[in-house]
Amino acid sequence: MTTADDIFDQSASNIQRLGLKEIPFTESPTDLQSETLRHIFTGRRDELRQVFNLFQSRERRRILVYGRIGIGKSAFLLEVLSVLRRKRPNMLTTYISLPANLDLATTALIALAQAMANDEWAQRQLYQMGIPTDKILKERSSEISANMGVGAKTGEKDLPIAKPQYPAVSLDTLLERAQAKHPDGVVIAIDDLDKQNPSQVRQLMHDAQGMLKGRAWFLLTGHPMGMTGDLLTSERGLFDLQLKLEELDFETTYQMLINYLSSARINNNCTDPQDPRCVLPFLPETAAHFCRVSLGKPRLFNRLGNTVLSIAADLQAEMITPKVLQEGLKAAAPDLLHKAALTVQEERIRAFLQRRGNLSEETITIEDLEQLGFRSFSEILPFLEKLEEADLAHQLNQDDARAFEPIPLPSADD
Amino acid sequence: MALQVRTQEAFPEKWADTQNNLGNAYANRILEDRADNLEQAITAYQLALQVRTREAFPEKWADTQHNLGGVYGNRIRGERADNLEEAIAASKLALQVYTRDAFPENWAMTQNNLGIAYADRIRGERADNLEEAITAYELALQVYTRNAFPEEWAITQNNLGNAYVDRIRGARFDNLEQAIASYELTLQVRTRDAFPEKWAMTQNNLGDAYRERIQGERADNLEQAISLYNQASQVFTRETFPTKWAETQGNLAEALMKRAALSTLPDGKIKDLDAAITLLQAALEVAVTGSPNFIDCQYRLGNALSRRYEYNQKASDLKQALNAYQIALDAISPEHYDRQQIWQALPTTQSILGSRLVRDGEWQEGLQLLLNSVSQLSTGDNRLAHANALFQTGLAHEVLTDLDNARLYYRDALRWYEYLKDQPGIAKSRTGLGAVLVSQGHLEKGMAELLKARESYEQLVQPDKASEVDSLYQAAQRALERQASEVYA
Repeated sequence: MTTADDIFDQSASNIQRLGLKEIPFTESPTDLQSETLRHIFTGRRDELRQVFNLFQSRERRRILVYGRIGIGKSAFLLEVLSVLRRKRPNMLTTYISLPANLDLATTALIALAQAMANDEWAQRQLYQMGIPTDKILKERSSEISANMGVGAKTGEKDLPIAKPQYPAVSLDTLLERAQAKHPDGVVIAIDDLDKQNPSQVRQLMHDAQGMLKGRAWFLLTGHPMGMTGDLLTSERGLFDLQLKLEELDFETTYQMLINYLSSARINNNCTDPQDPRCVLPFLPETAAHFCRVSLGKPRLFNRLGNTVLSIAADLQAEMITPKVLQEGLKAAAPDLLHKAALTVQEERIRAFLQRRGNLSEETITIEDLEQLGFRSFSEILPFLEKLEEADLAHQLNQDDARAFEPIPLPSADD
Repeated sequence: MALQVRTQEAFPEKWADTQNNLGNAYANRILEDRADNLEQAITAYQLALQVRTREAFPEKWADTQHNLGGVYGNRIRGERADNLEEAIAASKLALQVYTRDAFPENWAMTQNNLGIAYADRIRGERADNLEEAITAYELALQVYTRNAFPEEWAITQNNLGNAYVDRIRGARFDNLEQAIASYELTLQVRTRDAFPEKWAMTQNNLGDAYRERIQGERADNLEQAISLYNQASQVFTRETFPTKWAETQGNLAEALMKRAALSTLPDGKIKDLDAAITLLQAALEVAVTGSPNFIDCQYRLGNALSRRYEYNQKASDLKQALNAYQIALDAISPEHYDRQQIWQALPTTQSILGSRLVRDGEWQEGLQLLLNSVSQLSTGDNRLAHANALFQTGLAHEVLTDLDNARLYYRDALRWYEYLKDQPGIAKSRTGLGAVLVSQGHLEKGMAELLKARESYEQLVQPDKASEVDSLYQAAQRALERQASEVYA
């Protein structure tokens, strides 16, 4: 009788048959250990150079990293922070994903307080916001036990729970404390500004102008359309550097595949692109095809890589032959569609795009719009962006018009 | 008192007669709340109908049905659309007994009431309803001749005039002349001395017809309308007839707005618009909230304020206009034939105010208004208003130097302007699109748009605009040449 344990073993052995310890692809770079990220992060040399050049100055800077969803903004941010942690041990680096309905000052305050585990005042700030940490729980219990004794320190223990009334002031105070301990400065990285409504983000930035120009370095990520175009970011000089991340070129994507695979391969850490073993279990031709289909978009690359390797393991393949790759990519389309959980309207637009092959602000006609039940391209743009987010469409690198095409995956009928 | 003696059990017929009379008394009651009185009247008539059945007392049944129809037509409570359906149904029931041959006078009376209900009807095709109303009035006039029934004849002529003012079918030109003729006939009987209140009402109505009149000099017609409203106001004072006074003030305000539109002198325009706004604000102090006149006044106030904004450029006028439109829209029945007009005024004003606020630096609020207006207008029937809102949104994004979105909205606007063959729209959206493309460095593409925009302005005989576009084009041309020389260097 096959037990669940047997199935698990079978599953592991299917991956091992491909010469891998595990499937190395992941959609979420924040799950990666710093060391793994260091191993698989590929390319972006110019962009890293621009950022690190700024760090050679004493003056604090504000950096906006922007680009389309899935282009690798979070990975870039984490890579920058991980380098800084190695190279600048006296600098405090913090990272946080922007929570919904929170202003930037409170977000920065949380990020900083979480990074200052030994600072009691910082921990109290978190505690007051209802964000517990291991540290504070211990301190609380010791306070309570003290309280139960002779009651010598009662005056210090009553902690009212409330959101910070003046987050910008609290943040400034906390920064002062942090700087005392970290003479090289404090970096606050706030990720995922692009996951929120652009007009709301614009308001958040507007409200946070004072904070952003304050004591810390700020690294923010955002959506290309929502923030970069307006007066606030461009003319009022809120950012010292606005860095656009573009799709990776073919060579970089290929190198990225090599790096991912070598991080998980058993007994072979070859990374020389000239050596065909470096892409195992892919063959050079299937590796190249896989990279082309990934369109230089890291998240799509990871999503497809995951599906392709899972299918290969299910097929108990030892190599990703053209046939195995084809099977994997065929499975990817329905898989992406399933995960996207599209609404009827989104699905209608997806099917239309699939039929047309291209939808652009420049060439769409009134008839097209009417078929879709809309009156303007600006109305369908959010739907197209949703499809892009789900890797069911991609935006072309066209500067004079927003244009979308379907991801060129083979359909199940092919 | 009578009902205590004439109980339903003891004297059913008399009891029903008394209920009917009680209904009449409530319907005509001046004291106490009119809405309450009309409810009481409906209850009394309905009680009367329990005894006055068609089988047992056909004539009395028809009498009460006729009365009930009249009260439903004036009812304040309940959904107006429903009330008017009730009024039509009751009048039609009455006409089953009140035939022309058997009861010519009652037949004419009920035809007149039926006409009123059709003229006000919210449900059904408005154009058809007005034809029904005209037919009913004309039937009534077959019996209500000037010699036999001068007062009733005058009432029906007045009503017929109203229906002709509103008429959708036929030539508007003729309909208004017809209306004026009817009102003038009415005034032969309704003199100021004999019937001051009715005289004032017809003066007001005649004012409406002159205000809208197509034949003759427009300016003269408007002066005539203003003079007629002022005459009506001599009787309809705020103290004695507050509701009628408010209606007349609203109409006068509308005439002043029309005169402002006609005037070539900015001072004259502003003076008339100021006066119109003052009149409407005063009228709203007495208009019953939610009544048709209240809705009209709010809508007109919105119009007057947004027109005044065109001259004084005060954002506060637009904000007040939006507020007035919103109140009107909240008050009007979702089924009402005028709703679409108000519904559309709201987002149209939002888009003007939105772009204004963006220019003033209140870009967050401004952009939100613009986006709201675009999204509301995208579901409406007025494509041009939608295209205009898209254009304004493009312009706002350009002001905010959000060039990608500016380009997107200009293209959306251009698509519709081209579809609608709206030359001014095509010219301005191409200008915007061309300028944005040039700013973004897409020189040749931008210049192609600017070239077409210049041609459009030339066709529209707007040399100033054409030369403005041309200077943008020349600047792009120089940039292109610079680029080319840099490449060769």
